[in-house]
Amino acid sequence: MKTFRFTLAAATALIALAAQAQDVAALLKATDKYRMSADNLQVETQINVVNADGTPDKERRYKVFAQAKRQSLVLMQSPAEAGQKVLMLGDDFWLLMPNSQRPLRITPMQKLLGDASTGDVATMSWAEDYTGKLVGEEPCDDSGAAAKQTCVHLSLSASRKGVTYQRIELWIGKSRNEPVRADLYVLSDKLAKQARFVMDKPSAPTMVTEMVLSDQVSNHKTTHVRYLSRKERQVPPEWLNPMFLVRNPPLE
Amino acid sequence: MHRIIVGAAALLFAALGWAQTETGATQFGGQARLQWIGQQASGSGPLAQANALQGGIVDLPVGTALLETELRASGHGLSSVLTLQQQRSDGGASQSRAWVNELYAAHGAGAWQFSAGKKIVAWDVGYGFRPNDMIQQEQRRTLLSSTLEGRPLLMAEHFDASTAWSWVWVNPTASNDASGAAEPALALRLYQRDGAVDWHGFARIGAHSGASVGAAASWVASDALELHGSLRTGAGLQKLLLGGTWTDQNQLSLLTEAWWDGSAISMLRRNLYLRLSWQHDAWQPALDMLYTPADQGRILTASLTWQGDRVQVQGGLRSYGGPANAVLMQLPVSAMAYIAGTWTF
Repeated sequence: MKTFRFTLAAATALIALAAQAQDVAALLKATDKYRMSADNLQVETQINVVNADGTPDKERRYKVFAQAKRQSLVLMQSPAEAGQKVLMLGDDFWLLMPNSQRPLRITPMQKLLGDASTGDVATMSWAEDYTGKLVGEEPCDDSGAAAKQTCVHLSLSASRKGVTYQRIELWIGKSRNEPVRADLYVLSDKLAKQARFVMDKPSAPTMVTEMVLSDQVSNHKTTHVRYLSRKERQVPPEWLNPMFLVRNPPLE
Repeated sequence: MHRIIVGAAALLFAALGWAQTETGATQFGGQARLQWIGQQASGSGPLAQANALQGGIVDLPVGTALLETELRASGHGLSSVLTLQQQRSDGGASQSRAWVNELYAAHGAGAWQFSAGKKIVAWDVGYGFRPNDMIQQEQRRTLLSSTLEGRPLLMAEHFDASTAWSWVWVNPTASNDASGAAEPALALRLYQRDGAVDWHGFARIGAHSGASVGAAASWVASDALELHGSLRTGAGLQKLLLGGTWTDQNQLSLLTEAWWDGSAISMLRRNLYLRLSWQHDAWQPALDMLYTPADQGRILTASLTWQGDRVQVQGGLRSYGGPANAVLMQLPVSAMAYIAGTWTF
């Protein structure tokens, strides 16, 4: 009888866990739609880095082809980086420099360059990279207008190697599931950045227009990642071949 | 000759400029670099001995200042890179040069791509040494890197999502007696992406050097570690490279490579190369060492680079060391210093 009760309890717990995991996956998919509105996108992105004292540090422009199956091609367009490209195919990454005819295979650690890493620019979804659990309902923020709103708190763990952040504490709107804020932790479980998401229409949000990243580790700079335009676009398969990209073909 | 090159390039730039007004698809760009390199003559070696016996019998190394402008234009299936250089040495002598780094036509037909003209084609996976650099055959570990001068070639390539084939006829109009990078040759490369590993296969038939084949791979073994290797055999030579790059969360990076170069003189066939660098905001300090175990010769380089939006400034020191009989100690230079500023437009 004892064995039966134990088995029943374990089975119930497993079913509950599976249901919760399914709930979290569905919530993440709904949240992803605010950044990745289609499976294949072309996104024009601008980054502005601001120093801790509020003075502007630098500005960068990127064209991102965010494609299905966790494939992204980032084209750097600012003078300091013009011609550079980063290709991400699942867990595999290449850096292409304009004066080099060879694609450089890079590790996930080498991808974490800069105030807004290439991962911050190219990664526009969580559902395929993270699993998680529901922590509960909490105020969206400690202060300001968001404090009055109720958010759902999700705790996410990376389910794949090569992602920029190992753990994410994510708060999403309770009724519409839009992303509100996130704490981003790197491999050593150190809080690396805090993210805040700016929506197009706060009362009835349809898309994220800006992600504000506050560095919590080294320089305490703030990075504004602005999504200037999004349009649905599937690129030809050879554009995602690093050997094709070293030819510096026109990618328009 | 100088005027002809500059004239041809100017015509090309003008033609591309006219084309731009028609369709707006042409891209222009370039960079200007001002650099100074100082050299310290070696106190040992044949050059120093000759000079000790009779002063002025040989030219000793001197410092040089250089202004280099690189112009790029591409569009409508044409690409070109032109370099204009003015050089002045400490002795007062100055000279101006201009050359075309690249000038080629390219055409795409679906998965097929064709190129004809002077073009830089760099193969293989190594940093300090590349056994299968069958086309460009570039000099590695230069003090300051600059845009290479391409080779005349005809090339056909085929791409799909994970495979690339390249067929190259390099130096098609050169004499069969030409050697090294100028030798007429047919070369083939096959690239295959397979998850965390990039595989490369190579083959080359030179007009008089004969046939050689090679293989290379680059493998991302973990979040922090990349390993690579390259092997080439045939045409009377063997070359082998093994290496890896480790990078930590703070962007501290260590590159280690060891290689065997069967084409080098006996004392320089075995080599070990280490490079430690750190990327911190706009700054990148780096230290590297090339060591030749056979004679214990070594080259040490320390450098510092600052990268701004359009401006890059870099400086460094390089010194040659080892026992008096080491090959590197027979070179005319014992130490070098450099500083360079580059403006991108």
